[in-house]
Amino acid sequence: HQSGPPVPGLGKGGGSAVPSLRSPWPLFPAEEACVRTPLQKQQSLPLRPVIPLVARISDQNASGAPPMTVREKTRLEKFRQLLSSHNTDLDELRKCSWPGVPREVRPVTWRLLSGYLPANMERRKLTLQRKREEYFGFIQQYYDSRNEEHHQDTYRQIHIDIPRTNPLIPLFQQPLVQEIFERILFIWAIRHPASGYVQGINDLVTPFFVVFLSEYVEEDVENFDVTNLSQDVLRSIEADSFWCMSKLLDGIQDNYTFAQPGIQKKVKALEELVSRIDEQVHNHFRKYEVEYLQFAFRWMNNLLMRELPLRCTIRLWDTYQSEPEGFSHFHLYVCAAFLIKWRKEILDEEDFQGLLMLLQNLPTIHWGNEEIGLLLAEAYRLKYMFADAPNHYRR
Amino acid sequence: MAGGEGPVAECREHLFKVLVIGELGVGKTSIIKRYVHQLFSQHYRATIGVDFALKVINWDSKTLVRLQLWDIAGQERFGNMTRVYYKEAVGAFVVFDVTRGSTFEAVSKWKHDLDSKVLLPNGSPIPAVLLANKCDQKKDGSQNPSQMDQFCREGGFVGWFETSAKDNINIDEAARFLVENILANYKTFPNEENDVGKPKLDLDPLKAESKSQCC
Repeated sequence: HQSGPPVPGLGKGGGSAVPSLRSPWPLFPAEEACVRTPLQKQQSLPLRPVIPLVARISDQNASGAPPMTVREKTRLEKFRQLLSSHNTDLDELRKCSWPGVPREVRPVTWRLLSGYLPANMERRKLTLQRKREEYFGFIQQYYDSRNEEHHQDTYRQIHIDIPRTNPLIPLFQQPLVQEIFERILFIWAIRHPASGYVQGINDLVTPFFVVFLSEYVEEDVENFDVTNLSQDVLRSIEADSFWCMSKLLDGIQDNYTFAQPGIQKKVKALEELVSRIDEQVHNHFRKYEVEYLQFAFRWMNNLLMRELPLRCTIRLWDTYQSEPEGFSHFHLYVCAAFLIKWRKEILDEEDFQGLLMLLQNLPTIHWGNEEIGLLLAEAYRLKYMFADAPNHYRR
Repeated sequence: MAGGEGPVAECREHLFKVLVIGELGVGKTSIIKRYVHQLFSQHYRATIGVDFALKVINWDSKTLVRLQLWDIAGQERFGNMTRVYYKEAVGAFVVFDVTRGSTFEAVSKWKHDLDSKVLLPNGSPIPAVLLANKCDQKKDGSQNPSQMDQFCREGGFVGWFETSAKDNINIDEAARFLVENILANYKTFPNEENDVGKPKLDLDPLKAESKSQCC
């Protein structure tokens, strides 16, 4: 029942840094992309970007992005084939996406993987149109109620959190973008009263927003001025982000309902798993009275988004959307692999403060697809060893 | 200092766990960053769960105080979780935002949560200082100082300060005041239970080779 096996080093999903010349408004980039000549990819520009201190969104490997390899070109072709077929084979698409989706086809692939866009080509256009209208219907119907007494608290919390969502990336400081986020989160919150707005959900909109925006932006999404886009385009990005985020949250709802039982359960499961796979680290935590909840609550609540640069989260979500129960279950193994990745640093710390300071500021700023590829391969191995063997994993 | 040589008797080191609680967006993280790193930024992300910081204070010639600051998320909805976070705390700041009256109304709720979940070894509440933050901005509400004094007496706060993390107003003073109160409790109950976790703390006089900055 597993999707494709992970191949370390193959995680370079959309690793090309060569600027692509794409037409401005492709609804289905896969089809558009076929028209493009592969010639552009041949110019190997002397492009070895220096990784800036503030984590960039665009795909980069830690060593700088090399020109597209033959292997990557073949993969992209495979995606284009799948995406442009009359009925996209979703199993096959998941298999191809597990080791990373090429940037060029990521928006349409994500819409399909999340279950938002139908596999059947003929139904896509109409579905998108209908869903976008439905979303703006909600806005019309409910958004004015944000200042009414029973929704005031919800709106206020969202309003406080939006300016501090990715505060260092200029894209998210633009008023238009902040308004989009406020609408998405407010509508989601009042349509899900069992949880309402929970801090951290604001982060979960970002990957979708950035990926759907990237369909219209050639380079440097983080500094892009969205007033350059037409209102129609912005509305499509907003509605698609809303629906894909809703699909994601449907799968992890108990993370955000009262007392956050999903998170409590997963933090416990992480503790058990680590005690099995790395007793030394586990005992080290016990010795210094570090509790998993103290650092892993955030890992679960924000799906590691606070621990990784945004570009890495995007790559991670390629896999989460390809893996059965990626966000709700596989994430646990990714967290375990992530923790063990720092075992040496952890074992070097000899007191509670030092450990917590380390665990809350893990140095991933330079991480790219390579590191995520390795992390996922390790997570897959752990899952394979422990998921279907409950006795093995219980103490 | 004498080059740090020779046994230094009577030098004590304390490790105190201090909570920082209050509604979302009142400036808890900003206060801590100002206090610990002398920095202010408009750009802190919302705290999820809990964040940690450590402030080392050379209290006097004989005393080194390490404050372990627990910055607790303002939207605390994890019923039992505050209980886990509050465990073994010996002091607290309860913060509200003077520009938003609703955050002051929530102060009592936070104080009550605190007192119901953590107590000193003698059963009394841990010392809590009320911080009226963002005092560089226009106030919403009209508590005057004598009303605040009364509010603190009735609510069991040991004191209150108007603070601004942005303009660095009264933060060191408030921390100093809280530590004084913690130390006063410590003198009443001079055993390790006033300090966080035994293995981390050496209550014996520091050995010659340890850091000598406090002596």
